[in-house]
Amino acid sequence: MTGGALLRQVALLALLFVTAGFWIYFSVAAAGFTSDFNLFSLLRFAAIQITIGFAQMVALSIGDLNLAVGAIGGATGMVAGWAMQILGLPPEVAVLFALAAGTLLGFGNALLITWTRINSFIVTLATASLITGAMLILTHSDPFSRLPDSFTSFSETEVAGLPVSNLVLVMLAVGVALFFLYRNLSLGREMLAVGANRRAARMSGLSVDRVVLLTHGLSGALAATAGLMAISADHTASPSLGSDWLLASFVAPAIGGTLLSGGLVSVPGTIVGGVLLATISNGLLLVGIDNFWITVFLGVVLLLAVVLDRVTRAAGGAAP
Amino acid sequence: MQRLRSLAPGVALGLLVIDLVGMVVLSVARPQFLSTYNLFVTGRDLSILLLVALAQMIVLSLGQMNLSIGSIGGLVAIIESGLMVRYGIPVPLALVAGLLLGIVCGVINGLLVYWTKINSFVLTLGTSYVFAGINLGITHATPFYHIPNEISSFGQARVGAFPIMAAVTIVLTLLLAGFLSQVVLGRQLLAVGGNALAARLSGLPIRRATLTAHAISGFFAAVAGTMLMAQLGQGQPTIGATWVLPSFAGPIIGGAALAGGSAPVLGTVLAMVLISLIDDGLVLVSADPFWVQFLIGALILGAVVLGRTRLSDIRALLRISPGTAHHAGSSP
Repeated sequence: MTGGALLRQVALLALLFVTAGFWIYFSVAAAGFTSDFNLFSLLRFAAIQITIGFAQMVALSIGDLNLAVGAIGGATGMVAGWAMQILGLPPEVAVLFALAAGTLLGFGNALLITWTRINSFIVTLATASLITGAMLILTHSDPFSRLPDSFTSFSETEVAGLPVSNLVLVMLAVGVALFFLYRNLSLGREMLAVGANRRAARMSGLSVDRVVLLTHGLSGALAATAGLMAISADHTASPSLGSDWLLASFVAPAIGGTLLSGGLVSVPGTIVGGVLLATISNGLLLVGIDNFWITVFLGVVLLLAVVLDRVTRAAGGAAP
Repeated sequence: MQRLRSLAPGVALGLLVIDLVGMVVLSVARPQFLSTYNLFVTGRDLSILLLVALAQMIVLSLGQMNLSIGSIGGLVAIIESGLMVRYGIPVPLALVAGLLLGIVCGVINGLLVYWTKINSFVLTLGTSYVFAGINLGITHATPFYHIPNEISSFGQARVGAFPIMAAVTIVLTLLLAGFLSQVVLGRQLLAVGGNALAARLSGLPIRRATLTAHAISGFFAAVAGTMLMAQLGQGQPTIGATWVLPSFAGPIIGGAALAGGSAPVLGTVLAMVLISLIDDGLVLVSADPFWVQFLIGALILGAVVLGRTRLSDIRALLRISPGTAHHAGSSP
């Protein structure tokens, strides 16, 4: 057991070194990498990617998948845009509205999973298509691009004069809350127990259905958070929002050591994984590598991450 | 698994009835449904998407999945059109190269899954971005226009309302059905999907089964990509970008189980017919095209809920607890 924990610490440290290596390399090789403007946008992009990763990480922790992370993030972003632009609601209310919508959509996923006992893959594949379809039908695929300044300026504001967006603080707050959830709260431990062995969890008297419900609700709320962060940064709620989140949602947790089969999560790992993801995307673009090839690179990174994870676990021989 | 397979004819029968009702309703409500051109266009879309669905079905039958079907189709179309347009390679040679590439992509997926024993979902998610990225890196999202006339006229060729392309799909579908039911390797593939542990203990060639299923998947994806390229008359980098949903919708509505062990070719065909009826019906009533996405999602959920309800009804009737249903269900 301790061997496994040690191995995971070493893996996280290695990930940190790799990320630091990329930062050093790009600082030297890519002109403008260390400019305040670039660091600001890099970290803000990372904050959104990490929050998307959190939404998936939570579902992975109970051994489920949530293919609807992008659909929920996009749809709730549109809900917020509609609430602010059409209904004229203050941003605070619109944010609560979107978070509630995300939670409800997550609950919907969970209810379908627990009632029908259908694999979360199929359920969320189908609901992703339902949610995105409904959103496109309702909005006629028109963006909401006149968002209030007070909302869009939130993501532009620098924290204490550093090139750090408010969104980074949001992400860190979410991260701390999740760390606390998995480390200290019984719900978090129950989620991991369900993920490690659902049958055993049920046998030992855990209400698995309740855990699944809360988990998917949380995943939906996190997807909505990411959607809100993205529309604040983009200054517009676009119907295509979330359509390209699938890879990102898996890459950050997978690099960070979250087990795709459930039962083991790493919040710091997901954060570092997301920073690495954003660093690579940003830096390769700056050194003049075509955006399209970066897609190949990210695909390879995901493959390497899962294969390395497999190898280290086999070498460690320790069950999480 | 026996239980699921024995249910499949029921699924197919239900789908057949729904398809027929749908056709009758459409022809009465919108007579232009029966127009030669509409039937041709619908049939052509169906011939392409059916191959996409079968590409997923063959991998699902192993209890695995392939998220890279669309990326393989797109990459193959780009390579073929690029070879023809940019390098003037003769059409047959370019097509052979493209189809081989599809098989190679499939084998890469298969080898990764077999070697690493990692969830095929994540692995093929990774390779799908690699294949799609190579496609975009080569093309910079710009199509190869003006592909040779032999190819683009093949995309428009028809006898009456019957698209010539459909002949390719029909032949491949029959070959796949024959392979699964008549060829030893095909039977072994289903056995591996049904119970990998039992298959290993009884010495079945798991590696060969895995590689074969993924190679077939890549090949079908490549043919579908080639056919869409012929239909569009150009090598579009976006070919395959929207195939994930239909690829799963067909087999799942058709009665396949994610756990593997069943390969409902007929169910998949009928499910794809239903999807193209919905697609065409929405066009004919000039509804918002976004309804297609919504309805396919609803259809997947509806189909699995229905299938699941029936199983649990059977369980309730036999008074078997869910935990023991598997053993009890496979004995009769």
